[in-house]
Amino acid sequence: MPTMEWAWLIPALCFIAFPIIAIFGRYLPGKGSFLAILAIAAGFVLFLFVAYDRIDQGATGLDVFTREWFQAGSATLTWGIIVDPLTVVMLGLVTFVAMMIQIYSIGYMKGDPRYGWYFALHSLFAASMLALVLADNFLLLYVAWELVGVCSYLLIGFWYEKQSAAEAAKKAFVTTRLADVALLVGILLLFREVGTFSMMETFHQAELLMAGEDSLLSSGTALTSALLLFVGAMGKSAQIPFHVWLPDAMEGPTPVSALIHAATMVVAGVFLVARTFPLFEAAPDALLVVAIVGLATTLLTATMALAATDLKRILAYSTVSHLGLMMLSLGAFGYTAAIFHLMAHGFSKALLFLGAGSVMHGADQTDIRKMGGLAKVMPLTSFTFAIGALSLAGIPIFAGFWSKDEILLAVLEHRHWLFLAFTLLAVFLSALYMARAYFIAFRGELKEENRTAHEAPTSMALPMVLLAVLAAGFGFIALEWGGGFEGIGSFLFFDKAHGFEFNVALAVGSLVLALLAVFLAWSSYLKGKPYLSTLKSLTTPFPALAERGYFFDHVYQWTIDRVILVFSGFLGFFDRVVVNDTGVDGPANSVKRSSFNLRRHVTGRVYNYALVMVLGALGLGVAWWAMVAVG
Amino acid sequence: MTDNLHLLLPEFLLASLAILVLGVDLFLPAGRKHLLAWLSVAGLVGLLVLSLLMLWGKDISLYGGLIKTDSYSLLFKVFFYVLGGVVILSAVDFVKKHLRSPGEFYAIVLFAVLGMSVMAASVELLTAYIALELMSFSFYIMVAYGRNNPKSNEAGVKYILIGAFSSAILLYGVSLLYGAVGVTRYDEIAAALTTAMANADAVSPTLWVGLALVLVGLGFKVAAVPFHMWAPDTYEGAPLPVTAFLSVGSKVAAFALLLRLFGEAFMPTIDQWQLLVAVLAAITMILGNVVAIAQRNMKRLLAYSSVGHVGFMLLGIAALSHVGAESLILYMIGYAVTSMAVFTALIAFFNVTGRDDIADMGGLADSHPFLAAAMAIGLFSLGGLPFFAGFTIKFYLFTAAATQGLLWLSGVAMFSSLISLYYYLMVVRQMYIEPAPAWAMEEAEEEESVYDEQATTGKPSKLIVTVLAALTLGVIFVGVYPFPLLEAIKSAAGALLGAS
Repeated sequence: MPTMEWAWLIPALCFIAFPIIAIFGRYLPGKGSFLAILAIAAGFVLFLFVAYDRIDQGATGLDVFTREWFQAGSATLTWGIIVDPLTVVMLGLVTFVAMMIQIYSIGYMKGDPRYGWYFALHSLFAASMLALVLADNFLLLYVAWELVGVCSYLLIGFWYEKQSAAEAAKKAFVTTRLADVALLVGILLLFREVGTFSMMETFHQAELLMAGEDSLLSSGTALTSALLLFVGAMGKSAQIPFHVWLPDAMEGPTPVSALIHAATMVVAGVFLVARTFPLFEAAPDALLVVAIVGLATTLLTATMALAATDLKRILAYSTVSHLGLMMLSLGAFGYTAAIFHLMAHGFSKALLFLGAGSVMHGADQTDIRKMGGLAKVMPLTSFTFAIGALSLAGIPIFAGFWSKDEILLAVLEHRHWLFLAFTLLAVFLSALYMARAYFIAFRGELKEENRTAHEAPTSMALPMVLLAVLAAGFGFIALEWGGGFEGIGSFLFFDKAHGFEFNVALAVGSLVLALLAVFLAWSSYLKGKPYLSTLKSLTTPFPALAERGYFFDHVYQWTIDRVILVFSGFLGFFDRVVVNDTGVDGPANSVKRSSFNLRRHVTGRVYNYALVMVLGALGLGVAWWAMVAVG
Repeated sequence: MTDNLHLLLPEFLLASLAILVLGVDLFLPAGRKHLLAWLSVAGLVGLLVLSLLMLWGKDISLYGGLIKTDSYSLLFKVFFYVLGGVVILSAVDFVKKHLRSPGEFYAIVLFAVLGMSVMAASVELLTAYIALELMSFSFYIMVAYGRNNPKSNEAGVKYILIGAFSSAILLYGVSLLYGAVGVTRYDEIAAALTTAMANADAVSPTLWVGLALVLVGLGFKVAAVPFHMWAPDTYEGAPLPVTAFLSVGSKVAAFALLLRLFGEAFMPTIDQWQLLVAVLAAITMILGNVVAIAQRNMKRLLAYSSVGHVGFMLLGIAALSHVGAESLILYMIGYAVTSMAVFTALIAFFNVTGRDDIADMGGLADSHPFLAAAMAIGLFSLGGLPFFAGFTIKFYLFTAAATQGLLWLSGVAMFSSLISLYYYLMVVRQMYIEPAPAWAMEEAEEEESVYDEQATTGKPSKLIVTVLAALTLGVIFVGVYPFPLLEAIKSAAGALLGAS
């Protein structure tokens, strides 16, 4: 059974569900939400078959299935899918998390006036995201890329009556669009050089370039296009300086934050770099840029997460920080580690967001300073949140520990020791802010106003539990189990397979750092010891800077107000007066005037008509004869 | 040769069908005349199947080279049968309500269809002329069919006067041509012209004047500027289904004849007439589209719009070549589907309201959303917006002209197409943005007061809605996926100009 070839059905099902729910949802039970869940669940089942088939046909293989779409001139446009280990793991992540979060949304969004539309958008998003990971050519990838952007825009601004939500949606869309321009230019540049949008052909050329053979790509083009693609990835994955949109995106419903702005869409940038890794490998300088940007992002945003007080914003900054970590890993040739961390982080962060959503749903609070002791009224939420936090903090046996370790190893092997030092600092900060959030929100004394808080309903609890199992246990797929399974590195890799590697010094070192962070948070926030405030005063002015987001937003706002708007005001004036009033309306008015003058030529008198015909015939005959006589 | 006469069986049967309709008409009671429409349509469908089965892949000429049954003839035969069926179906309600003697009406439609399909098949000047006259006579009668309507009578008189005049010019041109080359068969004309061109000094001016007059005569039939002035009056006066048939059927048939004539007979002298036809095309498309802006009546607007489209189609003649012929045939088909969709929507609107001014269409989107949407799709397509037939056919045609060295004409075509968008969108604006006119408001109030009795008066019939839906789907189909059509068209153009 050619199951792999049918992988295109996975996005197709969701894509069909979208218009049905959007148009007919209001007539269906549950406003059509069951259709969305049915589509994504079918997608998940299909994924299982595809994954089985992939392993059956050689787990490390790569198959491309293409269909011709249409021809325009010499260019043939195709659409097709790639099924390789990277696709398979992404399919698994997206279908599973999307399914969990849609189930969670049944309870969370209950009673919303646009309930059906919400699920329709979720279907469209799932379809686009799945198409993105399956795409075998840059054009299809770009279309899917923009579609997920649109869904993100619509879902951030889902409660568009709220001004802040509408503005956050706009900010997210504009910021990522800005980066997408670079992506498009990069894609077109590759198209110009290679003559096709096909990824496989492009990678083939990149490999020829690497091998020093005749290639359609020059090393300059490879570097330029790799950097352009990376700028696109930076926008989507909120890397510095494009990170500003992601914290604001938390205005959307919390399940949306969990799915789109933590587990799936924001990792599209990481996925893009991983997918086009052959190109980046042919341009090693680009990879160094990736590593630097990733490192800067992970450090800066980790400090911002420490300064934030809104639970969802803490998680958002943490997401950006971990995305930076994945980029860093890719920049250090840690392909497997990056994707592994992508998965581990995806499950853990989705779980944490669902926990935050549960808190908002049950206690109606988003500011951690107003929480405290919630573990007493929401034991399940507290427990699952703790698992997610432990995983992200990098505490052993939890998923994040294994993947973080792989990243550290890659950095150690391929980059300067300074990179490693800063990465370890990031690991420390990561554990610190997770512990801080957990201890302040869930431990300590229960506040008076939160006494009425209640635990989440079953439809919300179930996804949290399932995700918690994954966040706790997913890391074990890194290990060699025997029986043919030799760890994630044996099938998801770039260039050469490798088993699980373990550097004891590194693992112990990072673990000590993480535990130290947890201890610091515990003693400072629960026991009232002054360790952290001492640390804070030692590192001035960083804490103050971090609280203000290092002034990124201020600089952007100033540029928009003082430079861009002034310039566009001038352009607008030019457009109104010169282009519109003179250039467009002028000819249009003369055409209209001539119409009203010309229509009088039809007089209604038959003899006039006949006369004109005779004159026309004479004119035609004479002209013809003249042309022949002259020519 | 008489042994292959059976290839004309569809024509014989179509004539018999028309006479059968006339005969049955005598025995049907007044209330059941609509059965004749179904009889005609059933007959056309049968003939369609028969023609496809019998004539598929044939390439034979009959009667000593007067008529040809090739894939070009077959394509247009199928086209006109379908068109005839659509016209009849969309006319049923209208005929029932507004016209007397429905039996004769349907029979005359069938005769016109017969004339059209022979026009596309004939390969000899006089045969073509006779077929043309069969079609024209049918139209003269149909235009004046609204016997109690003075406008219809005026339109009929104008049409027949100018028509007779142009027929005389056409015949005079044919006789001059015959005088110059001594033959009337297309292939023999082509051979004679080739010889004449080889020795250009010896060519008599008679030949060129004759060619010019033939062009004038046919220019009247398609309403090319400056032979178009009858069109607005006739379109406005004629009963609506006749206007639709006139604007689609007579034009496509005349172009089928023109394309065959120019492609098979006049091709050797293309250098001499290409520029003239191109200029004719240019002034036709500009004048038609510009003057349409000033119109207030929907039928007059569509008349000028069709003049503009004739300009575009002439562009296909000017760019005559394989790609030119292919894109022209595609244009005819796309234009016909779109135009029929718009007219059918207009007929449905007229059936409900009895009005056809643009101002009357205000608020249509609220009162009849489906009609408004179908009409809007048709108008978008006429204006050449993507996803609809109009975009695809214009794209192919203008590209063909550009590759045949008529880049300037493509430019003019695009410019006038842009102008045309203005008045099409004006109508869409009227339907979707402007409020309903005063009479409609009053009617709605009245309807509410006598709600129980007249609950269903304000609705178009299911039949016409079905026809309209099918046509709208056709518009989208041609716009999105024209490849199956292109295959048939390629083979037809190949039959005309020889394999490429």
